[in-house]
Amino acid sequence: MGRRKSNAVSGLAALIVLCVTSLILFTIYVKEDEQGPLHTIQLGASEVLRPVRGLFALAASPFQAASYRIEGVLDTSERKEFEEKAREYEEGAAEAARLRQENGRLRQLLEGEQASFKYAPLARIVAPVGGQLTERVVINVGTNQGVGPEQPVVVGNNILVGRTTDRVTPNTAEVMLITDRNFAAGVRLLPPQTPAEESGPGSATSRESTMAGESTRQESTAPRRSSPASLREDLASAGGSHGEGLLRTNWEGYLGVDYVDLNAGAEQGDFVVTSGRAGDRELLFPPGLLVGTVESVSSQDIDQYKKIVITPVLKPDDVQEVRVIVNW
Amino acid sequence: MLGQAFIVRAAILVALGALLEAALSPFLTLGWVGPKFLVLGVVVAVTNLRELQALLLGFFGGVLTDALSGGLFGVGALGGIVAAAVSVRAGAARVKGEARLVLAQAVAVAVYDLLSLFGLYLASREGPPLARYILGGVGPDVLLNAFLAYLVGGWLLKLVITKEEHWI
Repeated sequence: MGRRKSNAVSGLAALIVLCVTSLILFTIYVKEDEQGPLHTIQLGASEVLRPVRGLFALAASPFQAASYRIEGVLDTSERKEFEEKAREYEEGAAEAARLRQENGRLRQLLEGEQASFKYAPLARIVAPVGGQLTERVVINVGTNQGVGPEQPVVVGNNILVGRTTDRVTPNTAEVMLITDRNFAAGVRLLPPQTPAEESGPGSATSRESTMAGESTRQESTAPRRSSPASLREDLASAGGSHGEGLLRTNWEGYLGVDYVDLNAGAEQGDFVVTSGRAGDRELLFPPGLLVGTVESVSSQDIDQYKKIVITPVLKPDDVQEVRVIVNW
Repeated sequence: MLGQAFIVRAAILVALGALLEAALSPFLTLGWVGPKFLVLGVVVAVTNLRELQALLLGFFGGVLTDALSGGLFGVGALGGIVAAAVSVRAGAARVKGEARLVLAQAVAVAVYDLLSLFGLYLASREGPPLARYILGGVGPDVLLNAFLAYLVGGWLLKLVITKEEHWI
């Protein structure tokens, strides 16, 4: 009887001691910086576990490919949506041509930034990272390839899909996807039309542009595209922006732009690109990285900001290969 | 009394659970729902262990998971302790066999999920609203993992408590 009671007491004492130890570990982990002992242990373990994760990724790849095919067959609603869009474009051929032209100009404006980007080698996504409450993956480039913490991760030249976290080992890096609830980026909404054309086809600016011809117009913008600072000035001074805000994934599951002023002229179809700054402060991302287009804009009288839902250019879950921008 | 081989087998099972939790679980996780291999390993492994041994095994299994998975350190350790405590208590309540495993797994997973969420809140990171997470995350997760325990728990238990042959 006495022995049983003693066992129960020692069990309870052990439970309390171990719980307190866990809480101490948690506190140390949250408070320490990236070079702290617990973070270092995790980095080392991540490197050790890399082959195992790669093995599981290899085993899982046929299943993932099959699920994509099934999704493609079953998801007829998306197909219908595209067909409807295609019909709309056919009906307004002239309108579509003008939009394509302007889209091209906007892309050139964005590509003007790419000259100053320095990319790490093409990286493959090795594995997702554990945790139901996170959207992170591991890629197979690390400090050996020049990758560091908190650098933008893109597909192609400038389509933003995430950023590296502080967990970067010599051969791997953890990437927080834009769909992670802790991801945030300053963004700007850009209309698909230029300010000149927004003011109307009959306006003086528009006529001048038309008379001067497309080549002259491109030449006139070329020098201003040479540096990030000039691009920012260009966007700001031209009044080309439909507002600025913070890109975040809501817990309701949609990707949106928060804190966009009610007076901002955001519209459906606007391009969402990184702003690269907040006031006078430079942010984590260079300006001009494309995130997606505005799907819907709404607001109610009681709202302080507009509710903006965006459609990403790429679904981060479907991405296989990425590049890290290591310098800009 | 239990031999050393049993304790070694239990430790191996917990270590394997931690490894699978870190390496395989992310591939099988859908939204907020995914298998909890660590919890399953601990719940099965601590059967017939003394309380102190069980708690220590749960704690070190959790620490291993924290190290390997890259999550918030300490949350897995607490989850492992809770899983061990629940499993031992279920044994003490004379709930036997698969029912014990399923019950312990369900309770332990629910607590583990909530600990993960509170860990996020405490670390000042973004987390879903509690009510929504309980309905859309904890509930389905408990069902999935209880089903997993029902499917493989009994088999794992037999594997761990295989009687040792004594050569005389």
